[in-house]
Amino acid sequence: MKKFLTTAFLFTLAAVAFAQGAPAAPKSLFEGQFVAHLSLAIAAAGCGLAQGKAVAAAVEGVARNPQAAGNIRTTMIIGLALIEALVIYVLVAAFAIK
Amino acid sequence: MEHHASLLAKWLTQVLGLAQHPWPGFAHGAALSVLERYDHLLNAALAAFMAMLITALVRRNLARIPGPLQQTFEGVIEWLKEMINSNIAHHGERYLPFIGTMALFVFFNNLFGLIPALSPGTSNWNVTLGAALVVFAYYNFHGMKEQGFVKYWAHFAGPIWWLSFLMFPLEILGLLSRILSHSLRLFGNIAGEHVVAGIFFGLMPILLPIPMMFLGLFFGLIQTFVFTMLATIYLSGAVSHEH
Repeated sequence: MKKFLTTAFLFTLAAVAFAQGAPAAPKSLFEGQFVAHLSLAIAAAGCGLAQGKAVAAAVEGVARNPQAAGNIRTTMIIGLALIEALVIYVLVAAFAIK
Repeated sequence: MEHHASLLAKWLTQVLGLAQHPWPGFAHGAALSVLERYDHLLNAALAAFMAMLITALVRRNLARIPGPLQQTFEGVIEWLKEMINSNIAHHGERYLPFIGTMALFVFFNNLFGLIPALSPGTSNWNVTLGAALVVFAYYNFHGMKEQGFVKYWAHFAGPIWWLSFLMFPLEILGLLSRILSHSLRLFGNIAGEHVVAGIFFGLMPILLPIPMMFLGLFFGLIQTFVFTMLATIYLSGAVSHEH
């Protein structure tokens, strides 16, 4: 794994150096749409972890105290929307790159 | 982001015989008629008109024993009233007309993504930015009206006077970036959902888009809820007195 990561890193460096050295060179992999898709994937992964944590805590709260379900649900939805907003920014940026 | 005019706009262009010409700096100079260019305004106006029509219909046929439509609207208004009252301490009902109007406008716009030949007005940033700016102007105006001009702007400076040179610019930045986050959240959600539904439709037009459309119904409702809730929270932050 470490070897793979090192190789990938070196390839990235090489791509960047190549792109800088020759201005008329073909577009490298790390420009344009690929970056948009990759960044959206990373953002979605982080958002999934965060939202999973939030929902787990909310479900636990409701299970312990079913009376507070309404308040917890409202707060949870607001929190989820705020977490999701970060992914939405990346999505908008991805639209802008395209 | 490339421009997709709704089928309604294309059809209206053909029926009305509107001239199509390229627009500088837009959609790579594709020839579009005025309706196709301002498709989002057409759809937003249609949604607003539909919301007004339905509410006027309910208002005219108010009955002591309510029908299903009146019951739905009563439930929505009761729920909105409860939400506003739980967030704004005193006389929250004053803001119910504005909050309810924004909720209905956003909701009808979101649901236009589910109707074939229409596209949701909120999948264009211009529409959501307009809505967010209206909310921004409204809560600032009411904050100044409730607290007074000086007191309203002074509460951005924070409680400690010698930190105010640091706090004031940050709070103003936060205030302005609320417009951005409030509008981009709605726009990104609805646009993303619409694009994914479109891709599913392209893959297999028969059954595949149906789950996505159910998700669209759900997301439209959730995003309306979030938009309304955030508007209420901003409003309550602006008009609440510090005792």
